[in-house]
Amino acid sequence: MGEVELSCRAYVKMYLHACLFPRCAVNGLLLSSASPGGGAAVCVTDCVPLLHSHLSLAPITQLALTQVDVWCSQTQQRIVGYYQANACASDSSPTSCALKIADKISEQFNNAVLLMIDGGKMSPDDRVPPIVMYERKDTRWILKDKHTIMLRQWEETRAIANQMLDSGDHTLLVDFDSHLDDITKDWTNQKLNNKILELASPANGNV
Amino acid sequence: MASVSEMYDVGWEEMRDKLRKWREDNSRNSEQIVEVGEELIGEHGSKLGDDVWIIYEQVMVAALDCSRDDLAMTCLQELRRQFPDSHRVKRLSGMRLEALERYDEATKSYESILQDDPTNTGARKRKISILKAQGKTTEAIRELNEYLEQFVGDQEAWHELSELYISEHDYGKAAFCLEELMMSNPHNHLYCEQYAEVKYTQGGLDNLELSRKYFAQALRLNNRNMRALFGLYMSASHIAASPKVGAKVKKDNIKYAAWAANQINRAYKLAGRGTKENKCSVKAVEEMLETMQITMS
Repeated sequence: MGEVELSCRAYVKMYLHACLFPRCAVNGLLLSSASPGGGAAVCVTDCVPLLHSHLSLAPITQLALTQVDVWCSQTQQRIVGYYQANACASDSSPTSCALKIADKISEQFNNAVLLMIDGGKMSPDDRVPPIVMYERKDTRWILKDKHTIMLRQWEETRAIANQMLDSGDHTLLVDFDSHLDDITKDWTNQKLNNKILELASPANGNV
Repeated sequence: MASVSEMYDVGWEEMRDKLRKWREDNSRNSEQIVEVGEELIGEHGSKLGDDVWIIYEQVMVAALDCSRDDLAMTCLQELRRQFPDSHRVKRLSGMRLEALERYDEATKSYESILQDDPTNTGARKRKISILKAQGKTTEAIRELNEYLEQFVGDQEAWHELSELYISEHDYGKAAFCLEELMMSNPHNHLYCEQYAEVKYTQGGLDNLELSRKYFAQALRLNNRNMRALFGLYMSASHIAASPKVGAKVKKDNIKYAAWAANQINRAYKLAGRGTKENKCSVKAVEEMLETMQITMS
């Protein structure tokens, strides 16, 4: 199957989302702004953090999916995958609700990916990306070959994530759940995006 | 690093009061508790009088939450010295073992508390939370059910049980727990809204009708509950779009959905006033409501 590239912005936001709610399961959507060429690599350019409570209840998930979909079509992006971190740090296997949502996404986008965050590898001393990716083959989700997952400038991305966590910037992150608690908060996270951009530009100039 | 008292220019009395407020609110803001509590204990411990013991307990639990075993141990040692035979302190040492993932030892220490005092609810709940941490959800559910047979009035336990059932997709039983909670707290809008969400997830026309009613009830109890407002909109739209309903039901539900859409639009207009920050999400909501209305009519 094709390659998947994960951008700095997508990774950092996903990571901070998991850090912001260490006791909860969290999930979100992976987006791509690149136009998909036939069979070419999927480029995950952004993500939208969705929930940190009751992942398996339908109404809010449906609502969030619909709204993100609308926003994507307004901004020439598309939903290309799903991410989740389980509440139990040592458990990184996809739950049935993760598979269900990922199935739905793959109906709309063939090369969809399912990404699980590995809570056991999230400490700042761990040097490998704490992620496990799955791709859909026929009707099942199977583990994706590590060599087809690309994180450009991983060291810089990791440093930015740790730096933002240290300075407390993860508290700026807004997921769809927190948006419903206070609708003046913006789940597209423009503020946080700018901050990541600021930190990233001197480091590698092309995020 | 600067101390809390320098950074925020507060005296030790204010720090003590802050901790008391967090205790009363049952806040789990462990990072802040550790930050304020560690300094208060370290620099002003002698001024705190008998308050110091409950602060040790509070700071210890927060320290465990933040993987600060050093600080947790300091607090625990002070408490052990002062209250050598206390079950409460023994439970705290059990919690420390849990934080270190030494679950078998922790379970043993809770069991020895229960041998002395079978009605010690704290120790029983900790045993259940160990099962949960180990991912043994089915066993946790069984134990919690046994617990609730004896302590049927424990709201926190009913709520925990509903959460466990939701995570296991056992929506019928989750709904039962929430019914129990609604009966004892008829004015709590959050239970109503969660019940409606569970019913909506269960699906089928009857459950959808019920979910619409409870979303509406949640809104009556708190008209700022956005989840309930969206829920009312979605459940009413689904019922209206169903081919199984008669003309009158369809018409009524279109009316409910239109009302909810109107309220949602108003809430976002109010929230968007004077800020540019959420304009992306506002645009998404507006378009969603437009497109959903087209599919319904």
